[in-house]
Amino acid sequence: MHFEGNETIQVPLQTVWDFFMDTQRVAACAPGFQRLEILAPDHFKPTVSVGIGPVKATFTLDVVLEDMRPPSHATMRGHGVAAGSAVDLVSQLDLSALSDSSTSLKWTMDATVTGTIASVGARLMESTAQKLTGRFFECISRQLGAAAAPH
Amino acid sequence: MAVAVQGMGHSVKRKEDPRFLRGKGNYVDDLKLPGMLYMDILRSPYAHANIKGIDASRALAMPGVLAVVTGKDLDAAGLAWMPTLMSDKQMVLPVDRVVYQAQEVAAVIATERYIAADAITQIDVDYEPLTPVVDPIRALDPSSPLVRPDRENKTNHIWHWEAGDKEATDRLFEQAAVVAKEDIYIPRIHVCSIETCGCVASFDRINGKLTIWMTTQAPHAIRTVFSLVSGIPEHKIRVISPDIGGGFGGKVPVYPGYVIATVASLQTGRPVKWIEDRSENLQADSFARDYHITAELAADADGTMKALRVKTVADHGAFDAAANPSKFPAGLFSICTGSYDMQAAHVEVDGVYTNKPPGGVAYRCSFRVTEAVHAVERMVDSLALKLEMDPAELRLKNFIPPEKFPYKSATGWEYDSGNYPAALHKAMERIGYQDLRREQAEKRARGELMGIGISTFTEIVGAGPSHTFDILGIKMFDSCEIRIHPTGSAIVRIGVQTQGQGHETTFAQIAAEELGLPVANITVEHGDTDTAPYGLGTYASRSTPTAGAATAIAARKIREKGKLLAAHLLEASPDDVEWVDHQFQVKGDPSRAKTMADIAFAAYTNHPQGMEAGLEAVDYYDPPNLTFPFGAYICVVDIDRGTGEVKIRRFLAVDDCGNIINPMIVEGQIHGGLTMGMAPALLEEITYDEAGNIRQGTFMDYLLPTAMETPAWETDKTCTPSPHHPFGAKGVGESATVGAPPAIANAVVDALSHLGVTHMDIPIKPWMVYKVLEEHGLAQP
Repeated sequence: MHFEGNETIQVPLQTVWDFFMDTQRVAACAPGFQRLEILAPDHFKPTVSVGIGPVKATFTLDVVLEDMRPPSHATMRGHGVAAGSAVDLVSQLDLSALSDSSTSLKWTMDATVTGTIASVGARLMESTAQKLTGRFFECISRQLGAAAAPH
Repeated sequence: MAVAVQGMGHSVKRKEDPRFLRGKGNYVDDLKLPGMLYMDILRSPYAHANIKGIDASRALAMPGVLAVVTGKDLDAAGLAWMPTLMSDKQMVLPVDRVVYQAQEVAAVIATERYIAADAITQIDVDYEPLTPVVDPIRALDPSSPLVRPDRENKTNHIWHWEAGDKEATDRLFEQAAVVAKEDIYIPRIHVCSIETCGCVASFDRINGKLTIWMTTQAPHAIRTVFSLVSGIPEHKIRVISPDIGGGFGGKVPVYPGYVIATVASLQTGRPVKWIEDRSENLQADSFARDYHITAELAADADGTMKALRVKTVADHGAFDAAANPSKFPAGLFSICTGSYDMQAAHVEVDGVYTNKPPGGVAYRCSFRVTEAVHAVERMVDSLALKLEMDPAELRLKNFIPPEKFPYKSATGWEYDSGNYPAALHKAMERIGYQDLRREQAEKRARGELMGIGISTFTEIVGAGPSHTFDILGIKMFDSCEIRIHPTGSAIVRIGVQTQGQGHETTFAQIAAEELGLPVANITVEHGDTDTAPYGLGTYASRSTPTAGAATAIAARKIREKGKLLAAHLLEASPDDVEWVDHQFQVKGDPSRAKTMADIAFAAYTNHPQGMEAGLEAVDYYDPPNLTFPFGAYICVVDIDRGTGEVKIRRFLAVDDCGNIINPMIVEGQIHGGLTMGMAPALLEEITYDEAGNIRQGTFMDYLLPTAMETPAWETDKTCTPSPHHPFGAKGVGESATVGAPPAIANAVVDALSHLGVTHMDIPIKPWMVYKVLEEHGLAQP
């Protein structure tokens, strides 16, 4: 499954980049976020709970950041397992400054879901995955927007 | 008639129904033994992956968990792999890689079912995903990943099989005036028996005896295979197949769960129960069909069929674990010339491995006959369109004429008997074929869509003659043992195993007819290898043709001795005693007669000096040929132009299964079979996404027919007895499943043929029809 999106955030480029490097805050945007274990600045393990149709599963993900080109590009690679299911994710993040105070955020997400959650939720999987991915990036935009709002 | 025996031809109520209707059946999961443990299986989320490690420590730490069995444990005992029925081998549990989604990865043995189910979620498996092979055509590309690197042959191609005369066929095609050609895919489907698979394995350490209650259609064959694989002497293994909630071919293979539970019982010395849940059954157990067929039918300009050419790619999944006779990797697919007299035919099948569960079981079908019948019956309609000829007329023109039986087919089968024109004429008259054609023409003129589909199929069942048919070397005879008790009742034990067919009734009727004993006085037993005579089991409509014949012959052996006893009691010469109206009588003098009850009593109380006491016989019947049931089905459909939905308005099945034992049971078989035939035509299919995920993993997406989708079936019959079967029967369990799908598909294509449609793959779903309507501006908004 391939998803992509494009958001414009009224925040300077460096602020957006810094946000993405703050693993705690990014992980909190993950749908169904439960907890986070940070192993290294570029290696962490979030636990998220998701439901597709009649199936609910708690995935423990192993996430690494790769190909870091501050402040414009990062690749996130994740592998997660739950009982009878597995998910593999690759997400590309590209940031560019539109002005001093606004940033373009382009993202792609390629996800492969296998096992029970895919076989039982087949009909709902694509729409659910799209919804969850969209929600993740919306949350990030919102958080950044809030951070940028005048205090 | 002296005694109301209720033998052949009586609609005797089923002896098994009182317990089934009251919920008092005895299925494997009903069994509870003291100290019994429970097993659950962890299954692979990946279609193809390396296993880098399995950490079961969290599961083992759970209270109530006794053991976690992995492939490495089984490997140490030499049991990580097991033989399949098709000369392949299959993983029981994987040592280092998984080859399909839902494959068994590890098993938990626990004191409670729920603990076992919880514990499998606590096993950590480190997978390294590999690219799965999903498409069987692309699997043949040399660049495709290998599904089975364990094999010497480094390819996904399993075998090539062919039948018929290629040269003669090609020559006829070159000369043919008309050739119809279609690509026909028959999708992967699942038997979905109401009862899932399972077993209770119980090893008694004191006497060294292993007893396995198992959902199997072939208990004796299982016992022999288990003995050969495990080294346990065969007399120390007892396989009991109790009440079975539907088999349909899905309970012929040996599934890894049976083996793992058995190993667990051997190791713990306690009974171990394993019962699949519904999703496991649907996702992992053997599949049926999955044939990618290209078929061509050649004919003269006047519609005389000349030759059939068929090429097929068969998707067998990751292991060739089909359940065909050993010499027939594509089963009896070469019956695909069907009911038609052709000069030549050539049929090729290539078996292919993919990262899917093993497939190729004969789903209510005598070894790929469903695939064969669908191909030829679709091709006949495709040819009719090319010739602009009525499909009924084309069939009548090309049927094997009744006087040509026994008939040698272009692929080498000898059809025992048939009268195809009689069956089709009967069906056409009863349904009012010509009126329907007129109605169709009128409706078409108004833009309304209706279709009439015909299927005039011939089956090949009752495997089989032992010179040709075996399973793992065991010849496909079958057996019956009859003992008559002193007071005139009897026990009949048979080598076949009922899964709902009503054997306890029909086999009692066969014995009653032959012995002259009331059907109520006869008990039929089966399914316990310690008591039943050796047999190959029930599938492929073989019970009546083989064990049914054995029952008649065993009874006739008893009659031979009975005649001597009758002569003794009647003070007559045996030559003067004859069997008339279910009793022995002195020739020409009905007043001097003895019933079988009289004979039975004498066999234990008053037998002549020098004669052995008792009255019993055994027969192991090796049929001289297969039997060839047939039928003429006509289906009428209406197409909803607003939704594309296909509505079956009428469906008439005229069947010919030779002489009938119990008309009520035959009708029930046909009703069930038609529903199971309608399902793949309109509803059921199993597909996989690119990652090898099954897309229909539950009944939410796998569309089993319910009463809502099932039309009111109409049935009728003709009767052409088998000339070689002791009482002229042919077997009927699968006719309707085999014959129905092309009748429905032909009806839908017929409804759309004026729009240029010559073929539609099954299942024909509303969107497929709607798309055609939309393209031709016929869809209603």
